[in-house]
Amino acid sequence: MKFRFSRKTLGIPYAVFLLFFVIIPMLVILFYAFTTTETDASGAEHFSFALSNFGKFFSDPTKLSTIVYSLVIALVTTVICLLIAYPVAYILAMSKLKKKFVILMLFVLPMWINFVLRVNALREIFNLLSLSPAFEWLQSANYFKTIFGMVFDFLPFMILPLYTTIMKIDKSLYEASSDLGGNALTTFTRVTLPLSMPGIMSGVTMVFLPSMTNYVVSDMLGNAKVTIIGKFIYDYFCNDWHMGSMVALILLIVVFLSTLLTGGFGSEENVRGANL
Amino acid sequence: MKRICAIFLGVAMLFPPLVLLSGCKGSEKPDVILKVYNWEEYIDEGDEGTLIYDELHEFDEKGKPVLDASGNHVHIESDLVNDDFFEWYEETTGIPLSPEANPLLEDFELWYEKTYGIKVQVEYSTFGTNEDMYNEIVLGNEYDLLCPSDYMIMKLAAEGRLEKYDESFFDESDENNYYIRNVSPFIREKFETNGGLEGKDYSWSEYAAGYMWGTTGFVYNPEIISEETLKELDWEVYIEKGDKFTNKITAKDNVRDTYFAALGLAFLEELTDLKSRRDAGEIDEETYIFEITRIFNDTSEETIERVEPILNEIKKNIYSFETDTGKSDLVNGTINLNYAWSGDAVYAMDVAEEENDCMFNYFVPESGSNLWFDGWVMPKGVTERGTKHAAQAFVNFMSMPYNAMRNSYYIGYTSAIAGENAEMLDYADYLYGEEESEDTVEYNLSWFFDDEDAVIFADEEQATRRQLYAQYPPEEVMARCAVMDFYGAEANARINELWSRVKAETLDAWAIIVICVTVAAIVLFFVVVKFGGKIDFFRRKPKKGYRKI
Repeated sequence: MKFRFSRKTLGIPYAVFLLFFVIIPMLVILFYAFTTTETDASGAEHFSFALSNFGKFFSDPTKLSTIVYSLVIALVTTVICLLIAYPVAYILAMSKLKKKFVILMLFVLPMWINFVLRVNALREIFNLLSLSPAFEWLQSANYFKTIFGMVFDFLPFMILPLYTTIMKIDKSLYEASSDLGGNALTTFTRVTLPLSMPGIMSGVTMVFLPSMTNYVVSDMLGNAKVTIIGKFIYDYFCNDWHMGSMVALILLIVVFLSTLLTGGFGSEENVRGANL
Repeated sequence: MKRICAIFLGVAMLFPPLVLLSGCKGSEKPDVILKVYNWEEYIDEGDEGTLIYDELHEFDEKGKPVLDASGNHVHIESDLVNDDFFEWYEETTGIPLSPEANPLLEDFELWYEKTYGIKVQVEYSTFGTNEDMYNEIVLGNEYDLLCPSDYMIMKLAAEGRLEKYDESFFDESDENNYYIRNVSPFIREKFETNGGLEGKDYSWSEYAAGYMWGTTGFVYNPEIISEETLKELDWEVYIEKGDKFTNKITAKDNVRDTYFAALGLAFLEELTDLKSRRDAGEIDEETYIFEITRIFNDTSEETIERVEPILNEIKKNIYSFETDTGKSDLVNGTINLNYAWSGDAVYAMDVAEEENDCMFNYFVPESGSNLWFDGWVMPKGVTERGTKHAAQAFVNFMSMPYNAMRNSYYIGYTSAIAGENAEMLDYADYLYGEEESEDTVEYNLSWFFDDEDAVIFADEEQATRRQLYAQYPPEEVMARCAVMDFYGAEANARINELWSRVKAETLDAWAIIVICVTVAAIVLFFVVVKFGGKIDFFRRKPKKGYRKI
């Protein structure tokens, strides 16, 4: 057969990458999640199929609580990010400033600095603040510090997609709205908000999912007294791969469901311009 | 023509690096490749901050090396590292030692080739935790030499993953067997007996050669918390309330060290009672150390039940679970007490002294604490790969007293090496010793060096609560420290479950149910909104005059 180069051929490297670094690891996780290691009399280890990890997960209040805590932390982070980012993106997109990319740059700039470094710096700032009596409460406010750190970290991921979507809304729609008698509020609720929905969804996905697992923040700012699901998985992989895989798998399902709900798999045109 | 030129040029540009690469590989091909897997920052890597470097170079007030007119370092005379020393080192190892300090790994390669005529190349890599290292080994990564901690050595040995050292390795008559000739008798004995718990055969003397060791204890600022208070509270500092303690103390972010502390708290009465009975002569040293080792390794279900509320109370009272932030938190005043390994304690004390001019102290709980080791072990397969000889030689080279000093100085931990002629005592003396005078006390280290004359004179502060006390503790401290064993697979699972319960917040069952129901309701709502239009049941009837489409 003669080899014919087509555009599809260009996709092969990525397909190979996907196979080795996404699909196969996924299958390994699946395998570990539904097996246990048993040691027979001769001391040799072998795997056997088991649902016990699944059962253990759902009968252990600690594990369920951790999922719930992670969900709540991620939800609060996302809501705060959205509340801060939307006005910023809106004002920025609407303004007639010539150099507004400079302001945008100021918001995105922190992303260029290593993330662990930034979290560490934030930790030092909190430490410094908590030395003064007025901020002494900061010392034990581990959940507050964790959420603060997450918001600080993920805010640019919310601003950028929102900004690009609001920028791309056809300006004549606003004119049409006011021609038809809509005031500023109506224009916002009936035109801007619905049309920026893809940006909101994209931002929410980009903030919500990582903040469920980003345990560097909870370890450094929450003094490791806040345990989120990512840390949980890490701890399990230190001693029990089977349970660790099960937790990872369940997290994967939660993530999949929330992506489905936020329309991450929606049709192409809905998310046009929303993705970075 | 242009095109041909371009191709020619391109090919020509590609070639030089190729030639260079093959040239390097061709002439320097090693006979043996030794893969060493060690902790991060756990070997002398040469250059600044090393013994020779610090000893021989003059530094200005800011800590920068002083340069002469031609830009070279200004060298100074030193007691420890003088001309005789350079001569002696070259004579014994065959390696010319440069005042700029060589990396120890390169020295080993030179020494091995000179001594055994075999060219070796060390491939050095590092790990962050024992568990990371264990996972690497289980996954089948091949290494020739590892440096795990005590319990991990036991675990690896129990699972049959380790190779024994050759008998010839323990032959003291071979002058190249530096390890067996220089290791401290105390360490040797501990490796043999290993706490001596009944029913557990975790002796590691045949599998492991000691590298570093130490105790655990609290580093504190004596201006805020007095030593008397600490002696009185002992392990109870973890649950002591008040401005000085609540939110001002750290625990380690791993189950073993924190469980150990909680055991100390749970069994404080028994431990104190045992100690007073030993002091009164009712029980002997051996029974005492056996009993406290048993207590500090208790992982029975009843004990776990007893310890769990204590761990929860500790969690409420501490500032953080940490592995390496404790040192800086202590130095900048965020916390008052840091539970630390002795080497880290030395580091924290050094930094506080240099940077803040602040004197921290080290306290080992009176009722008993932890004695830990890191040792060199060889995984199975070194014989087949033919790297066993080089691996053992590596351990021997690291055990040459002077190399032990270099490592100890660089890392800040205490070496397992004592030296045939107690050379390491000179090192301790050089770091902490003083001229005998009214202000100094006699500091007896004969227990470590097995030599009655192993005595140095030191400042009283050093001898009772500072760096010397942390790095080379007095015998009475060693007498109350217990080794932590590998708990066994089953107990390990129990402990890990306990840890996840302690670390995570557990909600009441009703709260979980309420939240789950709420989440389910929200999900359902979204589903209805999103897909509702497609299902007939949810479709609203069209308004008058409109048609369904």
